[in-house]
Amino acid sequence: MGELAIFSKKQIGNAILFVLLLSFVIVWLLPVGGAILTALRSMDDLIANGFWSKPEVLTFDNFRESWSTGMVGRYLFNSFIVTIPALIGTLFLSALSGFVLAHYRFKGNIFIYLTFVGGMLIPYQILMIPVFQLSNFLNIYNTYWGLVMIHMVFQMGFCTFFLRNFMRTIPVELAEAARIDGCSEFRIFWQIYLPLSKPALAAVGTLEFTWIFNDYLWALVLIRNDSLKPVTAGLASLRGQFISSWTILVAGSLLASIPTLLVFIFLQRYFIEGLTMGSGK
Amino acid sequence: MKSNRNKTAWFFLTGPLVLYLGWVIGPSLYTVYLSLTKYDGLSSPEFIGLKNFYRLFQDPVFITSLVNNIKWLLSFLVIPVVLGLVLALLLNNQIKGNKLFKAAIYSPMILSPIVIGLLWGWIYEPAGGLLNSTLSVIGLNYLTRGWLSDPEVVLYAIIAAAVWRHVGYVMILFLAGLKTIPLVVIEAARVDGASGWKKFWHIILPMLRPATVIVFVVTIIQSFRAFDMVNSMTEGGPFNSSNVLANLMYIEAFKNYRMGYGGSIAVILFLLMFAFIVFYLKQIMKNEVD
Amino acid sequence: MKKSFLSLTLLILLVIGGSAFAETKDVLVVNSYMSDPVPKEALAELVKAFEEANPEIDVQVSTTAHEDFKKALRIWLSSDNPPDVITWFAGNRAKYFIDKGLILEITDVWQEENLDEKFPRAFRSISFVDDEAYFMPNNWYWWSVFYRKSIFEQYGLEEPATWEEFLQVCQTLQDNGVIPITIGTKFRWTAAAWFDYLNLRINGQEFHLRLMEGKVSYNDPRVKQVFTYWRQLLDRGYFLENAAAYSWQEGVRFLANGEAAMYLMGQFILDAVPAEVAADLDFFRFPVIDPTVPLAEDTPTDGYMIPRKAKNPELAKKFLKFLASKEGQLIFIEKTGRIGVNNQIPLDRYTPLTQKGVKMIEATDALAQFYDRDTLPSVADKGMNAFMEFWAYPDRIDLILDNLERESQLIFTE
Repeated sequence: MGELAIFSKKQIGNAILFVLLLSFVIVWLLPVGGAILTALRSMDDLIANGFWSKPEVLTFDNFRESWSTGMVGRYLFNSFIVTIPALIGTLFLSALSGFVLAHYRFKGNIFIYLTFVGGMLIPYQILMIPVFQLSNFLNIYNTYWGLVMIHMVFQMGFCTFFLRNFMRTIPVELAEAARIDGCSEFRIFWQIYLPLSKPALAAVGTLEFTWIFNDYLWALVLIRNDSLKPVTAGLASLRGQFISSWTILVAGSLLASIPTLLVFIFLQRYFIEGLTMGSGK
Repeated sequence: MKSNRNKTAWFFLTGPLVLYLGWVIGPSLYTVYLSLTKYDGLSSPEFIGLKNFYRLFQDPVFITSLVNNIKWLLSFLVIPVVLGLVLALLLNNQIKGNKLFKAAIYSPMILSPIVIGLLWGWIYEPAGGLLNSTLSVIGLNYLTRGWLSDPEVVLYAIIAAAVWRHVGYVMILFLAGLKTIPLVVIEAARVDGASGWKKFWHIILPMLRPATVIVFVVTIIQSFRAFDMVNSMTEGGPFNSSNVLANLMYIEAFKNYRMGYGGSIAVILFLLMFAFIVFYLKQIMKNEVD
Repeated sequence: MKKSFLSLTLLILLVIGGSAFAETKDVLVVNSYMSDPVPKEALAELVKAFEEANPEIDVQVSTTAHEDFKKALRIWLSSDNPPDVITWFAGNRAKYFIDKGLILEITDVWQEENLDEKFPRAFRSISFVDDEAYFMPNNWYWWSVFYRKSIFEQYGLEEPATWEEFLQVCQTLQDNGVIPITIGTKFRWTAAAWFDYLNLRINGQEFHLRLMEGKVSYNDPRVKQVFTYWRQLLDRGYFLENAAAYSWQEGVRFLANGEAAMYLMGQFILDAVPAEVAADLDFFRFPVIDPTVPLAEDTPTDGYMIPRKAKNPELAKKFLKFLASKEGQLIFIEKTGRIGVNNQIPLDRYTPLTQKGVKMIEATDALAQFYDRDTLPSVADKGMNAFMEFWAYPDRIDLILDNLERESQLIFTE
């Protein structure tokens, strides 16, 4: 042990752990590596040699192509137009109902809470036709609004559930004190509960951003014009009946994953923090 | 004063509730009604009583899908939960590259399901796909097969891909739970070997209970709503051997234009999920009463 | 936060403003399922030519992938705001919507353009319901067995004309380590092609169509016959292994790299292979099994319809007329190699292979569309599952057909 003593038992343990984790993560990310490699190859090469063969040439053409002819740029733009208002809306509405359900004791409180939880459990695919009919009736079919509304409202189930649980950890005394100072109920929500819920909002917002951004079925049902399609639905229309340009499709998918990746990286810290406090109770 | 505040509560709730009733609860109830009808989405629904349900329980595809959902649930309650917990325990210290490891492990979560389906399709490709070529290289030739065409393994092949996506989520929920436990307790438990295991079992795990409950709820919901992966990798094939209820419902309602029949599957699916979630809800009710 | 809010508002305003600006032209909304690169470009060229001839019209094409299109169409047609023109398939799939009163009648277009003269008679029957026209056929393609010329030459093989010759060819290929027939059945319809052809060759087109309409049962001994022939190929291992793991396009790879020799496929296979492989591809008519059965082929026909609630039916009709014209047809066929329905197009405008295809169809007695176009969608779904189950467990065929018959009767009597 003499020479090795410069490393403590703990350090060696950590080194082994590090190597183990590293190998695990490399295997874990193999599929993603495969995707990147595919996006850098030509379709003819792929057809002739298969997905896991050695590439003949590496090229960025697929990315360029998916951006221009695949209109990924336009689709991404649409995704943001839909995702951002839906996200802000759902966070606001859920925070409000979460606040009410967490803070006020009144008849029907539990029932309403359970309604939101129940909504979380609905297999959403079955809502498609009725929601389409509603959108058609309201004249928001084939508009951004149609999509924004369903995302905003459907996600309220999970968000309300999560935020209500989080807000119950906020001491009631804070609100009582504010009330004595003559604070209105809405200001108690807006100036006390909302700021204190920031970590939870960040956590749930990150998840919701991913879910809304990656949605595909609602866009299929509620949008019929290419010019309005969000990126997942737009990419899906690159799939041919007979011929699909997989390389372009994958390149486009990688581009479409960048926004969610960035959101995750930037909110990672708040994300874990928010979940911590949310599940703390 | 009190009733005033109740008024405020209802006032705040009006907006969210009206929207929720319009877009979620109303359409759900409408679906329950549709499940009692024959409806192709174009002509008006025709009331046929419980015929759809009657037929459902005679439909071998429904039975297969139901069994597959249960297999899915059992696998999901074990593999991602254990793996996610182990990873969370390992990564809950100041090891080098800690943040990057975490990011790498939950990165599948942010990919769209379509992309994940695509990626795993290639891994499973029989001729030259990653899995089969790796197996041949390490001399396990006899294990190679058409992972997505062999009716015996296809479901598990899809579950594996779904696990890949789900583990990160579980890990993060556990990490969040671990954050609430003082670091000293964990360190002590980890270093002490055999007694550490005991400590894990008797100290850490009980302290993780709130996180575990959330993990289970999320996992159960995910298992029953399993759809994206199945739909994008096999559409339930070959001949329904990998079908699950949500996908069956989708295919019946949208591909085969049998909204009523699809609706009846949705009702069953909801009831099943509700039955599994109810024990969790009971706990909520109990907490509320306290 | 405030800043991002502001820029967001600006963006939304920009988008709304942008679309308002575009409204100054007459807008014609076309929804298409042509998501494959080649037909998609062809449609874009058609639209360009149409817009040049009609500068007051702005054609907005939206493309939805084939499978999604089939699901979404029902939603579009039941909305108050459907597209003006849609692509669709001839046959039962069109009739379904026509019968529900969701499609605009376009008899006037047929009359004004004199299409009865310009289109072969066969297209009238697939476009008319009760003597009124609803469908505008545009192009079609043929199915046949495509094969690698170089591989056939290498082993001294000839195009087989009969079932025995076909089995012989397969055996020779297999003996030489070549996969006789490649196929990717992940999306099942490639297997349906085998069912179609075996049934057409064994029982004939008339029987086939009656089966498709639910008037003959699937457990009829004549249908079982189809599977005994199919089984000959399966038992001898003539098909690509693990076929169900591949999409049809992944199946092409084995043909392209020379590992496999034949593929029962539509003409569009030529779009899917690199040019040098396409040059090495030829085709032969699916071999004859019973010489007393009249020859029949699958010739799926694609075309256009106008939803009844379309906002701009007059513009839509104008566009349809253009698509049917010689000029419009030429643009599409030269790009895609599909065959136009307009008989004013001289045969020599097609590639030699397509000319061969046209001649093959001219020498054919009867036509079918394709399995999933000739029968109800939900029956097709069950049927194709049955084919896949048969593929994996050929011994279960009796049970499989009994189940299929029960399911399809339920659906047909619904």
